[in-house]
Amino acid sequence: MIIEYIFAFLVAASIITFFIGSHSRQFARVSSLAVAVAFILYSVYRFYPGYNGGDISSFSLTLSTYTGFYFSLGVNGFTDLLVVLGSIIVLAALFISDRKDDPVYYGLVLLTEVGTFGLLMSTDLFFFYVFWEVVLVPVYFLIGIYGGPRKDSVSLKFFVYTHIGSVFILLSIFTLYSYYYSEYGILTMQNSDLLSTTFFSTIPFFYRVFILSGFLIGFLVKLPTFPIHSWLPDSYQEAPYPVTVILAGALSVMGGYGLFGILYPLYPQIPAFFLWLLIALGIISLIYFSLTAMFQSNLKRMMAYASAGSMGFVSIAFGSGILGTGPNGIIDLAGGMFQIFAHGLIVAFLFSLLYYMKTHAGHDTFYGLGGIYRESPVLATLFLGGLLASLGLPGLAGFVAEFSIIAGSYGILGPLVFLVIFSMIITASYHIWAAQKALYGPYNENLGQIRDLSRSEASAMLLMLISILVIGVFPRIVFPLLTGYLGGIA
Amino acid sequence: MITELETWGIFLSPMIASPIALLAGRKSRNASGIIASASIGLSLVLSYLVYLKVSSGSQIESQYTWFYNINYGIFVDHLAIVMLLMVTFVSLMIHLFALYYMGGDPNRHAYFAETALFTSGMLGLVESSNLLEFFMFWELVGLCSYLLIGFWFFKPNAVSAAKKAFIVTRVGDLLFLIGLAVIYTSLSPIASDPLSISFIVNNAAQLPSLIGQYNLTIISLLFLGGAIGKSSQFPLHVWIPDAMEGPTTVSALIHAATMVTAGIYLVARVYPLFYEAYPISLYAVLFIGSFTALFAGTIGIVVNDIKRILAYSTISQLGYMLAALGLGSMFGSDVISYSMYHLVVHAFFKALLFMSAGAILLALMDLRDVRQMGGLWRRMPYTVTLLFIGSITLAAVPFTSAYFSKDTIIGLSYTFYQSSGTLLMAIPWIFLQLGALATVLYTFRMFFLVALGKPRSHLASEAKDPKKIVLIPLGILAALSLVYGIFQGSFYSFVISGASVPAIPDMTEMLSIAFLVIGVIVTYVLYAGDRFTKINAEKVPGYKMLTNKYYLDKLFTNALAQGAILPLSSAFAGMESSYNEGVERFGGSFLKAGKVLRRLQSGVVENYFLLIIISAALVFILLEIVGGV
Repeated sequence: MIIEYIFAFLVAASIITFFIGSHSRQFARVSSLAVAVAFILYSVYRFYPGYNGGDISSFSLTLSTYTGFYFSLGVNGFTDLLVVLGSIIVLAALFISDRKDDPVYYGLVLLTEVGTFGLLMSTDLFFFYVFWEVVLVPVYFLIGIYGGPRKDSVSLKFFVYTHIGSVFILLSIFTLYSYYYSEYGILTMQNSDLLSTTFFSTIPFFYRVFILSGFLIGFLVKLPTFPIHSWLPDSYQEAPYPVTVILAGALSVMGGYGLFGILYPLYPQIPAFFLWLLIALGIISLIYFSLTAMFQSNLKRMMAYASAGSMGFVSIAFGSGILGTGPNGIIDLAGGMFQIFAHGLIVAFLFSLLYYMKTHAGHDTFYGLGGIYRESPVLATLFLGGLLASLGLPGLAGFVAEFSIIAGSYGILGPLVFLVIFSMIITASYHIWAAQKALYGPYNENLGQIRDLSRSEASAMLLMLISILVIGVFPRIVFPLLTGYLGGIA
Repeated sequence: MITELETWGIFLSPMIASPIALLAGRKSRNASGIIASASIGLSLVLSYLVYLKVSSGSQIESQYTWFYNINYGIFVDHLAIVMLLMVTFVSLMIHLFALYYMGGDPNRHAYFAETALFTSGMLGLVESSNLLEFFMFWELVGLCSYLLIGFWFFKPNAVSAAKKAFIVTRVGDLLFLIGLAVIYTSLSPIASDPLSISFIVNNAAQLPSLIGQYNLTIISLLFLGGAIGKSSQFPLHVWIPDAMEGPTTVSALIHAATMVTAGIYLVARVYPLFYEAYPISLYAVLFIGSFTALFAGTIGIVVNDIKRILAYSTISQLGYMLAALGLGSMFGSDVISYSMYHLVVHAFFKALLFMSAGAILLALMDLRDVRQMGGLWRRMPYTVTLLFIGSITLAAVPFTSAYFSKDTIIGLSYTFYQSSGTLLMAIPWIFLQLGALATVLYTFRMFFLVALGKPRSHLASEAKDPKKIVLIPLGILAALSLVYGIFQGSFYSFVISGASVPAIPDMTEMLSIAFLVIGVIVTYVLYAGDRFTKINAEKVPGYKMLTNKYYLDKLFTNALAQGAILPLSSAFAGMESSYNEGVERFGGSFLKAGKVLRRLQSGVVENYFLLIIISAALVFILLEIVGGV
């Protein structure tokens, strides 16, 4: 019974931030730090001593018995991990926000956190959807007010694009809701009722496909997956850096949570062609995004595509993990969820460093940079660490996920795994190429003198890199939560 | 328990020392080198203690859960302890020399932190108990190699070579990774730890029934792919010659003595996977190894950069080691000991060669072209004598250690051909035998150009020996190169119990001696003086092909990277941007439609009223048609 207090505190903090002009930055930082620490302590306390699946710490507030809407919160091993991740990402975003005394900005950032946490912790599909939509609004304003030169059109595009995806989710939710009523005569929005396989199997096949497609479209837009990704590169590029951190970290978490948190409980009822479609889209995304990323000259855009590409692993894991059997299936699915977590950490780290590169060197394109290791070795070394993590170097968090997915899915994919490997080679190539062009080689004298990271900046970034390293070397910190979550559903 | 701690300590000592060396280096640059060397000295001592335990008893193994059903831990048997001793010893010698060699570099604290980390990764790789753990260290040494090749980050060549090394080895690594996936998928339903190395080593006979020969073949070929990338065998050998842009001690440590042998060690470590697979796996090992041995040797003959000559020599010698492993279908697992013996001997003399070349390059201000050296034996007598000892060992002059290790492999390949009876199996022997000739040619060409004749540049005429004390590590290695041959028999039987020194056929024995004599005479005539300057090399048939390295580099960079991947990438990027535009135009059309519809919002109440009437009428008509009411 703790998470609802933390959540209430967060909601209150986000509202208060809007009204305290001069200290808003400090207030937002402190309160998000408090939330992050509280969640981490809570997860250590609740999940460390053996977790065997299921939701923990449910809290339920009846709003209307007639419609069956409850406001209920709960976390399981998977969502707890994502909540911790989300709190770290927002913390990182606030750390690199340099906007002084702008309550609207900080309020919006905290509101995004409210939305993300709400949708992760809701055990009720209605509120899941409400919070899903709540996230869009602050992000829309954050891009629209604080974005780059094309902010107006890009923020509109972002909103419309992802909103259309959400509408499909709403359709699916209400189809489930009405079928449940016609089957049992009860109006309910509870996840545990609507997302149960016994109920779902009573729905006619056509509507089952309809519901699943609706969810899939909504989730894949967020993930994002080819071919419904067009909002991503522009939004990432036009958003100010802290918001890019949130976009890359939190929004892909939404898509991943949709797959593994909402759809996975229905897994015995998901037709095989859906799963194969996901695998195919995942593989296409990997190849498409990695090849596109290779040709970008703007580091931010390149990393945007890299981030999208690595989410391809998530949909591959989801598809092949459900198709797989025994330990292979479990390590595959757990790897997929691990990838969401690892990817969130890594992109948050990379975009934070890119922010420093942009502010210190004044550039984030290859033409403008070059050889900056000479002037700012700390920044360059950390950035290399981020690039290596992003390309999936063993010992760093991303590798555990990639290995688990490849090892678990080989039985399903067979020779298709070579396509995945091809994309990984391309990914490694352009990451290393980026390091060569931006960090090493002769110094680009046009840059003049660059300030290296200050002590506090460097230690914050080093802390993130160390956490990526620790999770890569000791994946046992998070793996049991994921396998426990899977075990609780099976 | 104590044994276990010692074994962990072997790789943990330099791993812990690495960040300490980096941090200490901020205060005192010299301290970091001493810290790194001391930590490796400690590893050497610990390895020796573990050696005493292992040589009397059996294997040391301990495993802990890493995540899900994958374990981590340590596994040391006779094969591993040999590698541990070799790596710690050679690494220590190179570190000691690097104290002098890198002594003037402003970033030497980073250098020592990285080489200590590298050594730790290499040791961890050797004593891994699990293939995934092995892979992790495998990539750690690859990362250190990348960082150290690009150590002089301001040199565009070095950075580009580092990139090439990373990407090319990455190709092999990812093949290795698929191999891990296959073995995991096959074993996870039956074994508690599907990736355990000791499971593979100790259950060799059951593997075909557990995994299936077909899967074993796939796994072993994919693992071979990894080994080819790491040990720079054909066709993924292209990165090593470029890697010579790094500091010479790095070349000695990583690209000669230790890291590049990791691929050989991998094949030896999981040998049952190869042995129990279809014969094609071992044939692939044999043919790739023997072909590389000759192929790289021939390129070495025309290269003028002293470090690159040694690099091609390394590729060629690694080919011998790999080819030896490929002979297992006839000689059983004994071949592991033959291969490992050459690996250890090679580590000694190649580290020696690189470090003496490094000492020369330091005196010559990094002038690497052998045609501009000459007459150095008189000016740098100690260094060039050490180079001479390395060279005669490399060329397998009788009674040096490589004479025992390499001629055994060539002899066995001949026996292999004779017993198999098909002419096809003569090919590996021919490759290896001719490779020996190429070795003699490039070795003595290099040595005569460096040591004899008159100085052909100003720098060469003023070169001086370094202080004798810094040459001590080289002297130790030189002594080992000369006398290590006496341990041949005991080495073989230590690594694989029951392995003994095989009889070498007279045929190969005599051919090797003849090649040596011919090679020395030819190179002496051409290169001891300045006669070579009078030959127009362009007219010699095949010269152009050799200087272009058989066009393989061009194939990879021009055809594959610039001709295929980049255009593909550009096509995808173009597709992406036009797709993006299409989406925006589609969205934009809705905005335009909105503008048209906005005109309806005239604000005149009568119009609204009219609209309501019309709409209501339409709804009613619609309902009538459907017939619902």
